[in-house]
Amino acid sequence: MTVVPPLRAVGQMRPGDHLLLGYDTDEQRETVLAVFLLDGLASGQRGLVLTPGDIPAVLALSFLEAYGCPVDEEIAAGRLAVDPHLATPEGLWDLDEVIRREARRAVADGFLGLRVSMEVLCRGAGESLKMLHDSELLLDPVFASLPVLGICQYDRRVFDEEELAPLDGLHHGRVAADLVWQDELLSITRTFAPPGLALAGEIDDTNVTAVARALYAETARARARTANGIRTRLDLRDLRFVDVGALRLLVFSALGLYAAGGTLVLYGVAPHVQRVMRVTGWDRVPGLRIEQGEDPP
Amino acid sequence: MTRTEFVHQGLRYGSDDEFLEGTLEFVHDGLAAGDAVLAVVRRHNIALLEEALGRRSGDIEFVDADDWYLRPSRTLGQYHAYCADHGQESRVRVIGEPVWTGRTEFEAREWMRYESLLNVAFVHSGHWILCPYDTRTVPADVVRSATRTHPELALGARMSAPSGHYADPADLYAERDAARSRAPLSDGPDDIRFARGRSAAARRALAAYARRSGMPEQRTYDMVAAVHEALVNAVRFGGGGGVLRLRSDPDYVICEIVDHGAHNSAVPVRFPGQLPPDARSVSGHGLWVLRQLSDLVAEEIGPTGSTVRMYFRRPGEFTRPPAG
Repeated sequence: MTVVPPLRAVGQMRPGDHLLLGYDTDEQRETVLAVFLLDGLASGQRGLVLTPGDIPAVLALSFLEAYGCPVDEEIAAGRLAVDPHLATPEGLWDLDEVIRREARRAVADGFLGLRVSMEVLCRGAGESLKMLHDSELLLDPVFASLPVLGICQYDRRVFDEEELAPLDGLHHGRVAADLVWQDELLSITRTFAPPGLALAGEIDDTNVTAVARALYAETARARARTANGIRTRLDLRDLRFVDVGALRLLVFSALGLYAAGGTLVLYGVAPHVQRVMRVTGWDRVPGLRIEQGEDPP
Repeated sequence: MTRTEFVHQGLRYGSDDEFLEGTLEFVHDGLAAGDAVLAVVRRHNIALLEEALGRRSGDIEFVDADDWYLRPSRTLGQYHAYCADHGQESRVRVIGEPVWTGRTEFEAREWMRYESLLNVAFVHSGHWILCPYDTRTVPADVVRSATRTHPELALGARMSAPSGHYADPADLYAERDAARSRAPLSDGPDDIRFARGRSAAARRALAAYARRSGMPEQRTYDMVAAVHEALVNAVRFGGGGGVLRLRSDPDYVICEIVDHGAHNSAVPVRFPGQLPPDARSVSGHGLWVLRQLSDLVAEEIGPTGSTVRMYFRRPGEFTRPPAG
């Protein structure tokens, strides 16, 4: 089994960080990248996106508009930039030089640093993978010495884990979306394949509102993903405790989804939680689907 | 014989023949009417019915009473779930023979209360529950109590008469409460003070106590869930906090939640947590779950505070000898 390296939340990145993002869906990539670039705007750093194809800057960054970012304005002011430098495999040769130059230019233009995201789509055995490896190797001294932080994006529908594993060693770790919520009892994270939320820890009267808020937002995203048959999925495999009040909230949400033709899916519900749902009749509520998690190894 | 309203009958029997005389036609009538028939009786009586019914015995569902009558509230919940599953299109007929041997006085009292509560829980259901009492083995006072908890007594095949002593469930409920020892637990080394926002610490301490007391893992989860609901109620209605006392006797782990709040929730509930709340109702699930997950509950909820005491049976054989 592949050892998955520790994840760092994108909101915790700082200058010098050079992290790898292995993403499964465009939603995941855009979620991480949006926070990365918006945090840069907030931090006085220029955001530079090196795209794997020659597409207009406004189009490449259009996903930021959903976050309230005036993309045109930011590009015009030089706070955001797009460069199709990686549109051809040859772009990899001088990648370290490009980032060194861009970091210095950002500082010269009055910014506090540079945030760079790069995506390589070239794929193929042997030679090109080695080239990728070499160029990543050369990047490290750049991040070590200049006010720059970066994310290298790898589409996991293109690169498999066997290809990504050797690249892990050339980064400072992998980056993930920010936690939706964390307190001493509970953490809520977004999942992307399949889309939904993962709840780990305990839910009681102290943090049920955080769950309500996260579920509400996730349901809005689910609605945006598909017009009919909305499916909101909660991964509860690491949820050790949930009280009656919080379960009642899930039932309320399920009934609301059901009325709109949708479903709330609870995945990996622990046996003791299922018992509570059985005695309350909540295992038979329309719109609520309880799915078993995979068997423990 | 078919009836359409809810029927709850006691049946006293003193021999195999009397048992069959009282139950066989009940089953046949039910099958003829297309009713769902469930027989929760002692193993010996399952064998009797199976033999007497022959190949028709496959049309009814048998459950060993020893596996079904484990905890009064849970049994009521199980009947409720069974009727929800089977009673939508047809009437449900139940032969329900509670287990009375080997019960302490407290347990027997709670099972009588359970028999009485069936009259409230199923009053609108149209189901038919027949409860056999074996006069050879069931203590005489328990047999007598059947006339108070059942509006009717079955008298052999297809015959019945008013029991004559039927007590209103609310009266019997109050009477059982009054018969209970009211002495609260004294302070002890395992007491846990709790307050708003601090129930996680109480859950942690409780789980550790349960493990030290040898409770199985899954039962510990139930304990934590049940006690948490009592804590939440105490915080919400009982003045924001209280104390959780933990004790073990040879048979039970006992969790007592005491608060000193006013408990002025809108309307006093008649049978708190005893009747299944509608899945969609706003409140009432906490107390219901608390009862469903614990073995026995004794609670007093009043204007100057409340005490909820939950009993969780410890694993292994009971220490007391089974009563004859």
